[in-house]
Amino acid sequence: MIATIKAEWRKSRYRPAFLVSAGIIAAITVLIYMLDWYLAVHPNTAGDRAVNILTLYPDQFVNQVMGAAFPVGAAMAIVVGALFAGSEFAWSTLKTMFTQRPGRLTVWAGRLVVFAVWMLIITLVLFAVGAANSVVVASFQGQAITWPAAVDLAKGIGAIWLIFFVNGAIGMAIGTLLRQSAAALGIGLIYVLAVEIIAVRFIGLINNGAYKWITDEFVNQNATALARSFTSPAFGRTLAPAITADHAVLVLVAYGIGLVIVAAGLLRLRDVT
Amino acid sequence: MENSTTIVETHGLTKRFGSGVLAVNSVDMSVRRGEVYGFLGPNGAGKTTTLRTLVGLIRPTSGAATVAGHSPGDPAGLARIGSLIESPGFYPYLSGRENLRVVADLASVKQKRVDEVLEIVELASRAGRKFGTYSTGMKQRLGVAAALLKDPELLILDEPTNGLDPQGMAEMRKLIKDIGQGERTVLLSSHLLGEVEQICDRVGVISNGKLVKQSTVQDLLGEEGVLVRAQPIDQAQEILSKMFGPDAVSLNGDAGALHIKTKPSQSAEINRQLVAAGVGVSELRPFERSLEEVFFQLTGEKQGS
Repeated sequence: MIATIKAEWRKSRYRPAFLVSAGIIAAITVLIYMLDWYLAVHPNTAGDRAVNILTLYPDQFVNQVMGAAFPVGAAMAIVVGALFAGSEFAWSTLKTMFTQRPGRLTVWAGRLVVFAVWMLIITLVLFAVGAANSVVVASFQGQAITWPAAVDLAKGIGAIWLIFFVNGAIGMAIGTLLRQSAAALGIGLIYVLAVEIIAVRFIGLINNGAYKWITDEFVNQNATALARSFTSPAFGRTLAPAITADHAVLVLVAYGIGLVIVAAGLLRLRDVT
Repeated sequence: MENSTTIVETHGLTKRFGSGVLAVNSVDMSVRRGEVYGFLGPNGAGKTTTLRTLVGLIRPTSGAATVAGHSPGDPAGLARIGSLIESPGFYPYLSGRENLRVVADLASVKQKRVDEVLEIVELASRAGRKFGTYSTGMKQRLGVAAALLKDPELLILDEPTNGLDPQGMAEMRKLIKDIGQGERTVLLSSHLLGEVEQICDRVGVISNGKLVKQSTVQDLLGEEGVLVRAQPIDQAQEILSKMFGPDAVSLNGDAGALHIKTKPSQSAEINRQLVAAGVGVSELRPFERSLEEVFFQLTGEKQGS
């Protein structure tokens, strides 16, 4: 599998989709920080929706970047996943890969490893830009720089990586199913930005919310819950989450494994025409 | 199934797609080691589906195949096969060289081989350009280069001259001829008959998914002969029948010419005998059917259609 990982890395390291995605996530993080900073130092006179300046300092940056990671980062991961899988069909490169030495599942495993690495790189970009922004804000505000605990940082990186990977896996599975990227990323985005939200609202209203347990298993309900589990009193979130972080991680891991297996099965069994 | 002289062997190979289309119908095909085998057929005859099956991209509905000693798609077999199936599939944002490096990694081939194959296909000077900017001819060359990376025993090329201009086609033909020298086996699919006639040792003709003929090019073209156009034709036929026997002489379609089943080296003697008898000879040349004629006869296609 080393050979397939090497090949996959060689071809994806200059791939515009990954580089642009890393740039977009960095830009969004900067934008969110700058807007929140402006709102924090120019509070609304009505006092509502005020941003607490404490949330923008380095000790809170792990919690702060969660806002950039979801849903924008998740939607971007779907796009990247769909492009990653669908382009191989559009460029007829799947046949090139499958007619070399490794078997189909080995090729797929190598691709997954590299995709996971890219999701980690984009996650690290998000955290690095978030950290840099928090230092800028703290410096301008004359605050001492205090970093969060390493374990919190590791948990944050792990959570965002998981959210990105699972959403990327949605894009990959749809891209593999449809053998193209355009429709795959369209369907993936519509699911995340519309279908799941509408379904959650509708199911939540049926029979006074008797079936809400179903929506607790939806992929991005769990991604949201996991992202929101990173908080502190500075953020002023007081409501107990409906989905616990542990539950969210388990559901997301299950989705990730399931989607990867579905895509692997499709690649293994279908003809390459 | 495979013996020491064959490198590709299929028995009853059949592929019916989900749509119900029977693309390949019980094909029994054998390609011998070291030969250049032409796989002929009109568009849609089943050539590409057969070749895709041989490299494991498509699973047959029934039948069996052995390629380089292994089942199609077996990693051990793939290690010994180089292929270019239909259009070359590469990454448009990578250079030609970088694309080959990706393939070399996948095939576990040393990176120095990349420059060797670029030299073989004469693409070394343009290997730094992005694949997306390549002309059709350059793309085809890069596809051949990728197929050669493993220094394969068996090279499968599916219509490698597709989309090329006349000069590009001539260059590709020369390249394939060069590649086919020595021990390497080349399985070449094409619907360009002149190309196959020039390059191949043996051919298989597929039509509507069925392999209708498999033989050497020479056998396919039939016995060699001599065409004589002379006046008076009756006298010429009588003289030639005495020389070669009545069964060896026949009218060649248009009444003004005779076809004689004999070696072209007999032409001088034929000319001498006819002239000595006072027969006027206006044309005397070796006669053979073109592959095109044979192809249209075998596939039931109309010439010039």
